[in-house]
Amino acid sequence: MNWLLPGLILFLLVNLLAGLWRVWRGPSSADRMMSALLFGSTSVAVLILMAEWQGIRALRHVALLVVMLAAIIAITYVGISGARDKGSETNPDRKAP
Amino acid sequence: MVIDVFLALGLVVLAWQALIGGSLFRGIVMFIVFGMVLTLAWAWLGSPDLAMAEAAIGAGVTGALIMIAYWRLRRINAVEPRDPSPARSRLALVIAVLATGLVGAIGLAAVSALTGDATAARVMNETLPDTGLGNPITGVLIVFRNLDTLLEVAVVLAAYIAARAALGRESADLPLPPAPDTPLLTPLVVTLAPLTMVVAIYLLKAGSQYPGGAFQASALLAALGVLLVLTGRVGPAAAANWLTRAGLVIGTLVFCLVGLGMLVIGAPLLAIPGIWAVYLIEAAMMISIGLTLVLLFAGAPGLSGKRS
Repeated sequence: MNWLLPGLILFLLVNLLAGLWRVWRGPSSADRMMSALLFGSTSVAVLILMAEWQGIRALRHVALLVVMLAAIIAITYVGISGARDKGSETNPDRKAP
Repeated sequence: MVIDVFLALGLVVLAWQALIGGSLFRGIVMFIVFGMVLTLAWAWLGSPDLAMAEAAIGAGVTGALIMIAYWRLRRINAVEPRDPSPARSRLALVIAVLATGLVGAIGLAAVSALTGDATAARVMNETLPDTGLGNPITGVLIVFRNLDTLLEVAVVLAAYIAARAALGRESADLPLPPAPDTPLLTPLVVTLAPLTMVVAIYLLKAGSQYPGGAFQASALLAALGVLLVLTGRVGPAAAANWLTRAGLVIGTLVFCLVGLGMLVIGAPLLAIPGIWAVYLIEAAMMISIGLTLVLLFAGAPGLSGKRS
């Protein structure tokens, strides 16, 4: 079973790569931010697996930290996207008319 | 190992994308993802301290800071969506090659230094148990090389003063996005604020034995402050009240007082009398650094109870 944890870590990292494509392509900034937040969740999973695999318990603290900070990013994004032209579109890549 | 190559390649691609990104916002998201992958890389290399610092400062607080800067730029219509990349200079390639060479040389020097006789590390490992600390990084930061740490806290204070001097009186007008009025926000803040507080103090306490410490805890407190500013629970004020001023200087002050107090009782300057002093200094540092980061984020001299 020695391959199981590194295999899972690698699988999650490949997931990250797939999500990266969505960040790159967009098209709206909400898509980009959503996949960045998904990366946060994936990172937490990878960190917990690494904590088991390497036997470093402190990596779970890192995972905890990532969870708390993902909320900041999400709220900042909601703040700056809601504050622009209300409701008409939520895409800061395009200039507001 | 496949994972090493994957992380290394991913970091290079993400850094490149963050700089070259077709749109400014894409670059910002790439930067945040870069911070997360860098956290994973440090974790994979077995350094949880660096992973924590990267997660807290790199991905979390800096990400929010850059997003607010982006929003302010858009407000004044300074963002040109078509061509965000400046004209390329002919010197770019030369500078890039030289910079790469410099980084490579420093890396090579660091690697070759590891094979030499690590006297400092050996002495530190022998004397660390006498201090009551179990985490060698906290030991180096607070006990063995604490003059450096004292200067770091002073630099944070200097950064705040420099920002005040540069912004002057106009900074009270720096806009912040209005607080989002979604019903989910209040329960989130009510849950997250006390939890963040507990985790920050836990990290500070755990820092004496395990990875963690004042810098990670203060980054978490700063993230909490940023959250409260963004949701309108705390607002920028035109002037700093005495509580804010006290919070800004307490880190430097407590560190200096403990360090100088040692002279009075005949010990060397900046000697650390015991583990209680480590906790005292770290707690004061946590408050000062966290508060400074929040004030730099809000771009204001002080904080008030509620945003108008």
